[in-house]
Amino acid sequence: MLANAVVQATSARRMVLRFAQPELSALRDLVFRRHPRDEWATLAWFGWRELAPATTGADAALMLTYAAIESPKSGDLDDAVSHVAIDEPYSLRMALAAEHNALAPGVIHSHPQDVPPIASVIDDDMDAYYSRYFSDFAPGRPYVSLIFTIIDGAFACSGRVWWRGAWHYVTETLGETQSLQTWVGWRPPPRLPPDLRAAPTASTARLAAAFGDEAALRLKGATVAVIGAGGTGSAAIEVLARAGVGRLVLADPDRLDESNLERVHGSTAEMLHQPKVVLAKRHVADIAPNCVVDAIIGALPQDDVVDAISAAHFILCCTDSHSSRLAVSDIAVRYLVPALDCGVTMEGKGGTVRGQIVQLVRLFPHDPCALCREMTIPWRVAQELMSEEEKSRRRAAARQAQARGESGNMYWHDEPQLNTVGYLTTTAGAMAAGYAIGLITGRFAPPFSRLQMNLVAPLLDSTDVDVEPRADCTCRRVRGHADQALADAYVWPPSHWSPPRRA
Amino acid sequence: MNRARIERELARLIAGGQAVELIEGGSRPLILYRTLPTSGAPLNLPDATDVVVPVPEGYPASMIDLAGLPVGSPLLARVKGGQNNQGIVRVADRDFQLASYHPHNGGGGPPWDQARHGFHTYIDHVLAWLDRLS
Repeated sequence: MLANAVVQATSARRMVLRFAQPELSALRDLVFRRHPRDEWATLAWFGWRELAPATTGADAALMLTYAAIESPKSGDLDDAVSHVAIDEPYSLRMALAAEHNALAPGVIHSHPQDVPPIASVIDDDMDAYYSRYFSDFAPGRPYVSLIFTIIDGAFACSGRVWWRGAWHYVTETLGETQSLQTWVGWRPPPRLPPDLRAAPTASTARLAAAFGDEAALRLKGATVAVIGAGGTGSAAIEVLARAGVGRLVLADPDRLDESNLERVHGSTAEMLHQPKVVLAKRHVADIAPNCVVDAIIGALPQDDVVDAISAAHFILCCTDSHSSRLAVSDIAVRYLVPALDCGVTMEGKGGTVRGQIVQLVRLFPHDPCALCREMTIPWRVAQELMSEEEKSRRRAAARQAQARGESGNMYWHDEPQLNTVGYLTTTAGAMAAGYAIGLITGRFAPPFSRLQMNLVAPLLDSTDVDVEPRADCTCRRVRGHADQALADAYVWPPSHWSPPRRA
Repeated sequence: MNRARIERELARLIAGGQAVELIEGGSRPLILYRTLPTSGAPLNLPDATDVVVPVPEGYPASMIDLAGLPVGSPLLARVKGGQNNQGIVRVADRDFQLASYHPHNGGGGPPWDQARHGFHTYIDHVLAWLDRLS
């Protein structure tokens, strides 16, 4: 180790650190093994993604995802001393493993109870040493150093990241369901951020009365991404904005057409042919002027959209696009962003409606993914992603096949669907937004894995369809691997799509 | 195009001795499987051929589909869907005709499963296609 190394970090760049459950709980149990008196540690792996400056409004930010633990074995740490002393074989094992994966190495250690998560001189030495040591084995990757502690009964975390020749403080930590205090630059978080000190406004007073002032503050500090600003998405957006969510990221490539007027909240005939996110942004400005809206005319998994939503607290997938659903599921798995997919469908024919189905599917990082759940239809995904030229060619081939008396399905599937209606999309969107509010405030979570209910069946015929994750599914291998598992991305943006742009 | 995934799949084939490459620069990216065996020898047809397969938009979410033989190849008349021209693609000064072959879309193979299938498994369908000449 170096003697009295100087490790000076800045918080000029946004450094977001994200954990999923149950890994965070397991990690806590491990590093607090000698709590409350003595320290303990583990080496760990992190995925990462560099977020474009356009997303953050500042320098490029880095999002880090806790991917895996490299647990210490007996003798790897010196348990005769109260601080952390890592033996060389453990470091070497980690360094050699770095040659066989693409993840970023890091150290996570605990401080004794009520000792603030402020780096000591020993910690400085350790980080100065490891940032150089791992750079030799894993050049170009960040090195992450985190301190966990329990202080005044609260679970607190601080950290710094060696990245491109400079130290940066971790500026945000996001637990999937568990809240962590983030000490930025070794300073405790303000008890109430200055802009949040005011009492809840009249418009959010009811929500604060139901869930408490802290819930309202959490909503104000939260970012929710809504994919799709049609019938379902616009309902969710409206509920979230009225609830006092501080920041919304909206993505939709489509424009408002006349048939949308029946179900898109905030739409009027004057707005026809405008991008849906433009009118959503305008609608939010009318009802919640303090809500910051990042509206993107684009679709997943285009890079700018992924950048914008991957640092959100929660994603609502409100689109009937199967490829977007795949992309959201992929983001939940690789970037550890919890998501809820919501959709509606109507069943029947000849003027008789037998089913009016609302479906909400929990897509948290540990849930079975969209592939495990078979939530998408391969031919439909393929058709969504084809260029217009290819669609035309395939439709023509299907017609020719049918003219020959053959099935044209191998070229093109046409599956007529009943149009959905506003009360159904509004029900689904509002419910989904409610669960987002419950999760962000920590007050309640979706009590289902995959909820289906039929509005025209006795007692709504509610069912919770759970499945086991597929043992061979990609999601089992790449959780938290972020961009280091790009080869395992579920879907890739087609070359013919227009580049996304901000509204 | 998810180059990393495609290269990983091709690397598995190359490690097993198969010549295969990703072709870019044309109207769409293609996979070129080189010198695949056919069952054509007893029929006085080529006993090996190159085959191209388009990389679908959005891959791997979109299923791999179609297969192409060199324009003018006598095999085109004998392979399944070979007489149903699905377009011409150019690879290094050679034109290939795409045949109506859809193993993952009702054409005899398993439904597309992106967690299992890829260009490293599609070659099995192409080999079967070249083996079952009419």
